[in-house]
Amino acid sequence: MSEVETSNPPSRLEPATDRISALESQLAESQRLIMELKERDALKTQFLSNISHDLRTPLTAIITHAEILRDGILGDVTMKQRESISTIITGGRQLLDMIAEILMHARDSSEPLTLVESEFSIHEVVEQVTSLNESLVAKKGLSLERYLSPSLPAVRGDRDKVIHVLTNLLGNAFEFTPGGGRVWVDAGMSPEDPEHVVLIEVGDTGRGIAPDHHELIFREFAQVDSSASRAHHGTGLGLTIARRFVELHGGRIWVESELGQGSRFFFTLPVKRQGE
Amino acid sequence: MSAKVLLVEDSPLIYSALKLLLESGGFDVTVATTAKEAKELGLELRPDVMLLDITLPDDDGLSVLRTLDAEGFKPGATFALTGHSDSETRSRCLEAGCDDVLLKPVPVKQLLRIVSEAVA
Repeated sequence: MSEVETSNPPSRLEPATDRISALESQLAESQRLIMELKERDALKTQFLSNISHDLRTPLTAIITHAEILRDGILGDVTMKQRESISTIITGGRQLLDMIAEILMHARDSSEPLTLVESEFSIHEVVEQVTSLNESLVAKKGLSLERYLSPSLPAVRGDRDKVIHVLTNLLGNAFEFTPGGGRVWVDAGMSPEDPEHVVLIEVGDTGRGIAPDHHELIFREFAQVDSSASRAHHGTGLGLTIARRFVELHGGRIWVESELGQGSRFFFTLPVKRQGE
Repeated sequence: MSAKVLLVEDSPLIYSALKLLLESGGFDVTVATTAKEAKELGLELRPDVMLLDITLPDDDGLSVLRTLDAEGFKPGATFALTGHSDSETRSRCLEAGCDDVLLKPVPVKQLLRIVSEAVA
């Protein structure tokens, strides 16, 4: 493969002013290109934001109409009709979640996200997220266990974003663990820094992840099985966003897993106190 | 007499679904599709409940509450409708005087229950 020559080597006889002038012109051109790329990126983000809103609106109407039918508000429906309509609603809600992920990722790329901080209890967050999933857990025949250290201090951080991380990790655990399996949340102080860092684990007895893929799964749009016929679908952004949110707090997220041995996802959150 | 609901929502797809739902629940529903229209209808109809989309084509939906308030009228209950679940949006709506913030799409039984409780 031949090298592409980007500029001529400077001649010893070439006056320095000519060389400086050429460099200045190259710099100006680079700056112009950077500006153009930034403008295009902003346009892309605006487009994604608009299209997300425009996708949400008809989906909201579809889901609302389907719920009106499912709940018999316009008249009785048979059991089979109700099951069919429920599938429309589940599919619609999955699409809404995916649109929200794409929008969040697009916004973060152009205008980095910031934390909206408050003081909150990890106990309450875990209770809130797990209780929302109880019907899914029962439906799949999973067992969901909580191990929460009673001495956990209040954490100062962005509650919505921590809820998002936990929801994502638990959602994956439920999806990839077959019926009869176990999913657990364990929260306590980190053994590495028991004064300042909270360690939260979401574990499952599901199919596990090969060590080769432990980094890949946190990359944007990455899916371990990328074939069109894969069994599990999604934007491939869930764990990328989770990692982003944890890192915004100054924490770390990782997975320990082997194929067939279940998975254990961990993330840390520094305990910040008012004014820190 | 049926309780009056002012539904402020600019998307015909969404307001037609919510109007159908609330009318099935026995409410007298009027739709406003802009902030301007909502302010006029709010003062004219004096609704028991207002369902307020906070993103409207001509103004911030919360401006409707401020205008009605300045004219000396406050609906029995006002619920903000939004597609954003973040706590910033929530605080903004509650500070403006909304009784609660509902994330679209609101489960239909939940919406009927909330509106029924508000007029009980």
